Amino acid sequence: MTQRPLELILARNLMSALSTPAFLVDEGGVLVFYNEAAGILLGKRFEELGTVGPDEWGSMFGPFDESGEPIPYDDLPLVVAVRNGRPAHADFEIRSTDGMRHTVEASAFPILTAHGSQGAIAVFWPTSSNGNGAGH
Amino acid sequence: MKVELWGTRGSIPSPGPETIRYGGNTSCVGVTLSDGSLLALDAGTGIRSLGLALAAEPARLHILLTHLHLDHIQGLVFFAPAFRAQTEIVIWGPASPEASLRDRIARYISAPLSPVEVRELPCEVSFRHCPETEWEIGSARIRAASVAHRGPTLGYRIDDGDSSLAYIPDHEPALGADLDALDEDWISGFALARDASLLIHDGQYADAEYPEHIGWGHSSLSHSLSFARRTGAESTVLFHHDPLHSDAFLDGLQEEAKRRWEEMGGSPAAIELGAERASYELPARAPSAAAAAS
Repeated sequence: MTQRPLELILARNLMSALSTPAFLVDEGGVLVFYNEAAGILLGKRFEELGTVGPDEWGSMFGPFDESGEPIPYDDLPLVVAVRNGRPAHADFEIRSTDGMRHTVEASAFPILTAHGSQGAIAVFWPTSSNGNGAGH
Repeated sequence: MKVELWGTRGSIPSPGPETIRYGGNTSCVGVTLSDGSLLALDAGTGIRSLGLALAAEPARLHILLTHLHLDHIQGLVFFAPAFRAQTEIVIWGPASPEASLRDRIARYISAPLSPVEVRELPCEVSFRHCPETEWEIGSARIRAASVAHRGPTLGYRIDDGDSSLAYIPDHEPALGADLDALDEDWISGFALARDASLLIHDGQYADAEYPEHIGWGHSSLSHSLSFARRTGAESTVLFHHDPLHSDAFLDGLQEEAKRRWEEMGGSPAAIELGAERASYELPARAPSAAAAAS
C-alpha cells in the first residue's frame, strides 16, 4: 500500500468540509478526490467514480470553451498547476452526467511541499447552468 | 529491540504527587536495537533521565525528533552525553522550507533561553533532515513520514528483525475525517503503524475533552482506538498524556480504553497507557506484561 502524502490527506479533509466544488489531483495528475459539492455539479459522486487517470478525467465532463469546442487537456487549470507548479485560472463549460451544462470559473493551485510538488487543488465556481444538454 | 519510556507527558512537564505513576516528564522513548545501537525518540525532559541511566558512555547515538515543539526538545541541553567530548550525537528531524534543522533547534539552544550554544556543546553533534525514503541505523530500518499535527511533524517506524515499533506521539488523524470510513491510504500515519509490534500513539484527550481541542493536533481516546484498530498494531501504548490528567484520571482512562478495546474484539492486555520507566521487549512481551518492568 502506498501512503498518500500528508498534504493530500489534509487537502481532502478540508475539501470534504467545503460547500464549494473542489477537485484534487496527485503529482501524476490522477484525479484522487472531489467533494460532494463537485459531485452535485458533475452529477456523480466521487465514490461512484473512484480515482481517474489523467488521460480520462479531462474529457469526462468536457470541458468546453465558449464556442463549444473541447479545451485541450494541457490547458486545463489543474493540469497547468500540477505540471508547472503555478496557479492557473480559466472560465469554461462542463457537462454533467444528466446532460446539464454548467459555466464555471475554475482556479487551481499546486500543492508544493518541502519534498516538491504533491499535486494540485482546483475549486470551481458555477456561474450559470443550462438544462439543454444537446448543445454539444 | 528494547523500548523504554522516559517521558510520557505532553505539552509541559507536570511533576507532582498526582502524576507520580504515569510520570511528569515530557516525550522521550529510549530504544536499544538488537545490535546495541541506541536511539532516543524525541528529547523532551525525559531524555535527561535517559542520559543519566546510560551506564556506559555510548560512542554514538541517534536522536529522532518528531517535531520541534518545546515538549519534544526541552531536554536536549540537559542530556549528559551531549556534554562528553567522546560522544557523537546525530539529531534527525523534519525538514522545513523556513530554516535548517540545526538553525531551528539553535533558537532554543541559544541565549537567552539557554546558557550554552549549539557550537559550544562538547560532543560531536550533527543535524540531518529525515529522508523521504527508508534508511538504516545499526540493525534497524527507519522510516519517517509527515503526520497530522501542527507544523512540520513526523512519525517514525523502526523495523529491527521481526520487531517493529511505530512512534506517533503527536497526531490528530481524525481532523476533518472519519477514521472508520476512510480508505487506509488516506489515513495519516497509517503506513507507519500498519501491523506494528508496538504502536506508541497520541492519547492526549478523553472523548469529552476533544470538542474543546479540535485542531490542536492531538487525538481523543476514540480516535486512538480507531487508529490502532485500523492499523492492526499488535499492541498499543497511549502516550503524550495531557498535563492536567492525574494518575487517578489516567487510571480511569486506561480502564475505559481496555474495556472498549475488548468490545472492539481486541485483548485488553494489548492496550495500555504509557507510564514513565515502563519498558517493552519486542516482540516477546505484550505491554501489560512489561509495564511493571521498572
